Amino acid sequence: MNADGPVVNVHVLFFAKSRELANTPRSKVDVPTKITASDLLDLLVSRFGLISIRDNLILAHNESYIDNLSDTVLFKEGDELAIIPPLSGG
Amino acid sequence: MDHVKLVNDPIDIAHIHQLLADAGCGASSVFVGTTRDNFQGKKVVSLAYEAYDSMALKEMNKICLDLRSKWPDLKHIVIYHRLGTVPVCEASVVIAASSPHRSEALESVSFAIDQLKTRVPIWKKEIYEGDHVSEWKENKESIRPKRSKSAFNYAACPCKVEESHDVPRTLVQIRVNDAELTKRLECFVNRKRDEINSQNVIDFKSSFVNSDIDLSDSCARTQSTIIKQEQSNCHLKVRRVNNRCGPQQMEMRPNYELELNKLMGSRDGQTDPFKEMRKSLPNSRLQAIESYMCLTTDNEENIFSRIKKVENRLLQLESISPEYRHFTKLEPSSMELPPPKKIRKKSYSVPELSAFIQKIKEGSEFA
Repeated sequence: MNADGPVVNVHVLFFAKSRELANTPRSKVDVPTKITASDLLDLLVSRFGLISIRDNLILAHNESYIDNLSDTVLFKEGDELAIIPPLSGG
Repeated sequence: MDHVKLVNDPIDIAHIHQLLADAGCGASSVFVGTTRDNFQGKKVVSLAYEAYDSMALKEMNKICLDLRSKWPDLKHIVIYHRLGTVPVCEASVVIAASSPHRSEALESVSFAIDQLKTRVPIWKKEIYEGDHVSEWKENKESIRPKRSKSAFNYAACPCKVEESHDVPRTLVQIRVNDAELTKRLECFVNRKRDEINSQNVIDFKSSFVNSDIDLSDSCARTQSTIIKQEQSNCHLKVRRVNNRCGPQQMEMRPNYELELNKLMGSRDGQTDPFKEMRKSLPNSRLQAIESYMCLTTDNEENIFSRIKKVENRLLQLESISPEYRHFTKLEPSSMELPPPKKIRKKSYSVPELSAFIQKIKEGSEFA
């Protein structure tokens, strides 16, 4: 899915369950500069072995939630992506 | 002032009180979330909290902004969350607010803890006594991924609409554009609604409804009848609904004649020369109706047999869709039969005829 168009390298942060599954708190990954959130999620899920929690993940791009998976996300080099499993603060 | 912090040490409640203190405030509300010592029968030893620190602080500050826009009177807001290992019975989160009056302080704190559980990226893992595997918790309020319907990529699966003209004509009742269809549906729905409304009233009334009487403020229940059952000695009254005019008894037959007259546009008894002309010429209006109703006709045919065909067609359409007649949006009062149409043969005097011929000549461009 990133065969066409330019790609950029972004930071990916993992937390809680996703951190345990990915076996690392942070990584870097190449992503297309323009991609829909659902495609992006699929890309990250398959890259980091998060299939078991795929349906509960939400992404944050530069510390803002990507509210809707049908949204299109635009990336710049060095952007920060976070993989957010269901929250349990409080 | 807003005090937002992620801390690694026990939270000092007294310190929170100091932050809230203000001479102008009559109320401070403090919510302290503490760790429970059990979950589903398992003994919890401690909880391990972790956060996406930078974003968590950002979201906590957003909550403060939200609170201030909702409750502008708030003086101080404190949101402290503890991270790392928190032993049971210790505070993991403290949310506090002070305001001149209590309602703002109480409401805002309650709102804030809900918001925190929903959108601040902090996670906790329960660590149990014994060999139980520790578990990541999930707030039921937590923000969840949304999948809107438009997420489906329609462009990826093109849908071929088969342009078929093979539908038997008998199966096609009407051929209209979207606007017309919408109008008809609307009309149908409105009509149905009116019908239901009127029947709701009529059903419980003892006598036929006179359409002159305004029913708008009548209540169906109060107008139902109380009839003592025949030969009954019972002191209880029996309530019955006299259903002489329920839907079963409604006159279901539509008024074809009126419809037909409307379609034909005939107002009897007027000697409009153009009308006369239309009668004498092959009846173009009837032809239009026939073509609209998908009837094949022969212009040489007797006009009455043609009308009969149209009538049959109307009947057939109504049997397919009983509401067909309502598309013409008739007022119920106009359902009364019009006086029977009289076909008179008029005899003309010579001057009348020549005047008539003159008129036809003058109006020849209309023909």
